[in-house]
Amino acid sequence: MSEQAYPDALQPQYRMHWYTIERVLGQGGFGITYLARDTNLDQLVAIKEYLPVEVASRRPDSTVRSRSEGQRERYRWGLDRFIQEARTLARFDHPNIVRVHSVFEFNGTAYMVMRFEEGDNLAALLERRGTLPERDLLRILLPILDGLELVHNAGFIHRDIKPDNIHIRADGSPVLLDFGSARHALGKAHTLTILVAPGYAAFEQYHSTSENQGPWTDIYGLGATCYRAIAGIPPMDAITRSKGILGSTHEVLVPARNVGSGRYSAQLLAAVDHALEFVEKNRPQTVSEWRRELLGETGAVNAAPAAAEKPAASARQPAAPLAAPLAGTPSVPPPVPGQAAGEVHVAALTADARVIRRSWSGGPIPWAIAGMAAGAIGIAVFLWTGTSERDDRRIKEIQTQLAQAEKRLAEVGERDGKAREEILALLAEQKKLEEAKRRQDEQARLAEEKKRDQENLRLSEARLRQEEEARKRLEEKQRLAEARLRKEEEARRRLEEQQRLADAARREQEQRLALAKPPETVPVAKPSPQAQQLALGEAALARREYEKALEILRPLAQAGNTRAQDRLAEMYADGMGVPRNNNQAYIWYSLAAQGGSTTASTERDRIAKLLQPAEIRQADSVVQNWRPR
Amino acid sequence: MGTRVFNIVSGCRVAGWCIATALLMSGCITTEDKRDAVNAINAAFRADYEAILAKDGTRVYRVSRAEAYDAVRVSMARLGMTVEAQDPVLGYVNVYGPAPRPLNDAEWNEAAEADLPRTRQIIGPHVGLFRHFFTFEPRGLEILINATVVEVPAGTAISFTARMREVAPPQTGFPRREYLPPTAVRIALRKMWAEVEREFKTTVRRP
Repeated sequence: MSEQAYPDALQPQYRMHWYTIERVLGQGGFGITYLARDTNLDQLVAIKEYLPVEVASRRPDSTVRSRSEGQRERYRWGLDRFIQEARTLARFDHPNIVRVHSVFEFNGTAYMVMRFEEGDNLAALLERRGTLPERDLLRILLPILDGLELVHNAGFIHRDIKPDNIHIRADGSPVLLDFGSARHALGKAHTLTILVAPGYAAFEQYHSTSENQGPWTDIYGLGATCYRAIAGIPPMDAITRSKGILGSTHEVLVPARNVGSGRYSAQLLAAVDHALEFVEKNRPQTVSEWRRELLGETGAVNAAPAAAEKPAASARQPAAPLAAPLAGTPSVPPPVPGQAAGEVHVAALTADARVIRRSWSGGPIPWAIAGMAAGAIGIAVFLWTGTSERDDRRIKEIQTQLAQAEKRLAEVGERDGKAREEILALLAEQKKLEEAKRRQDEQARLAEEKKRDQENLRLSEARLRQEEEARKRLEEKQRLAEARLRKEEEARRRLEEQQRLADAARREQEQRLALAKPPETVPVAKPSPQAQQLALGEAALARREYEKALEILRPLAQAGNTRAQDRLAEMYADGMGVPRNNNQAYIWYSLAAQGGSTTASTERDRIAKLLQPAEIRQADSVVQNWRPR
Repeated sequence: MGTRVFNIVSGCRVAGWCIATALLMSGCITTEDKRDAVNAINAAFRADYEAILAKDGTRVYRVSRAEAYDAVRVSMARLGMTVEAQDPVLGYVNVYGPAPRPLNDAEWNEAAEADLPRTRQIIGPHVGLFRHFFTFEPRGLEILINATVVEVPAGTAISFTARMREVAPPQTGFPRREYLPPTAVRIALRKMWAEVEREFKTTVRRP
């Protein structure tokens, strides 16, 4: 999948803390999921980025910001929930629920780090195989139910269950992914977005509030997933279903029991149909309840919505006597397995019957009225076969009752029509409002983009100005530097000229002297052997090789080398390689001082303070009478 | 007579030790007092020492420089001294020996007997009655002698100087003295010159 398919996604090799993005795994309404590498542990992870495209967008600097000022609070609220939910989900350690490792804030949004599951996606598997046999389907479904039950018990719903979010590991075990869109089912009545997966999202997910969402919403998604595995196609989306149910179209859901008949067990098909009930209250309310249905552990497929089962059952018998007239739909031929059109008609009949029931708050009332009418007709027929006058009166009474029943039936039909009109009006109003909201959001987005473009333009201009100023400053610096170099070059040339003139004068002077004097041998600046020895001696002294130093320096000192005398005196004064002896130090310092060493003179005076006057006289006598050897 | 004097001195020393120790422990004499007392002794002995050496510290012999140098070294060795440093080129020899060398014990005691009364007078103003317990202590001391041999027009001049060097802490706690007692200096010079001249007599042959 090319990265161009995800224009809002972070680029490969983008680094966040110790995670490096490798590629996009997918994008949903709430964000983008990446494959990334944890460079610390050197392992792949899945990272979900919170990016609700409805209210936020990516900026050029990779940060995520709300699309408008008005949406900032909404974005922030969702972001906080995302983080909070990640923290909660991280506590779940279930083999069939994706493991959340960490969550962190970055780029103005948040990132949920999850275990990257190797294997195959159920959507891809279904794409390849078309359908799944019941055994394989249950092998996937039941473990998912276990994990999902854990999540539901914690007060969360997934809200985005679909084949894309179910992963099949190499060992065949399933894992439910993408909890980034999970929302707390309890508490604050907010939903961030109404972006849903068509076909897999229940009708209540299209509403702007989440008050009527719950485990049954996820059960609808699972039912739809099962339907996809059974039918080979996903169920039609809930909005289309609602239109069909309301009679505006004939496109309503073909029940699984029709699609999968003969290939799947009745209990599985019934459970799937139960999960796909249009109205949330008619679905299984908990995972455990639905699991029992799937496994056939209950006598009735749907104990709770017992009334709803009746029209469902009548759907299996197309000649249901009451449903068709009450729904106001034409009678339909019996279903022919494998013929989609027939299935659609049967389903329409069934669904309409249900919707009528649901449109009435009294539920059983239409059935009672219909029963009354049927009873009256039956009685009339029975009585009509008699011929007595008494019977005539009775017939009139019955006719009156029948007329009343017909009137009531007409009322029922009128009320049904009114209810249907109300629903249609509400849907139309909702659609209108949504359209208006979408236009408003689009306008806000465009305004935001325009503002952002202007801001970018302004920043670009400012940056260009800064760059221009920097360039000018640099040029000025270069100009000054060149001027300074020129000056230095001129000064150097002048100095060289002066030196050249001085050399010429000196050579001229030397030539004049040479003419006046006989030639002399030019002394070669070569270090004398004594100097070399002295250097060796001092080096040995520096290396604390006292014996060697003494061996070199003593003869030099005795030969009259002032520096050697100084060094030898130092050795005696400090006891370096020889016993400390102030008398000898004094003598050698005195001799060095005689040779012109001022430091030796100072040291001699210092040592003198440690000697007796007699000793000084004695030493002075040695110094005075000493001759170099 | 000499033995009796020595016994008296020894007896006094024993008694002096006990009392001096007791006084020191009781803190009757401060460190400053002791230091001042020793400085006073050194000053007095130094003057005597310088006078003695000025008079008899240098002698000129009509010998070669080498002969004089060898004679000095041999003489010092005979007196029990050890050469610590020497430089024939300079004509310098430094010898040392444990006190009372080059004096013997009798000579040391003689020096002490001669110089002690004056010494006690010198330290009296600083230590008071404690002056009576002052003695000369040869132990813990070394005597260093510097000898130089220098060619002079008349021949070769030999010169001696001497000083004391501390090698162990003094038992009485007094600071060490640098200068030898004057009498000890005189005795030491007499012995050294005698040895040198004896050496000359045995080694130097005159044409």
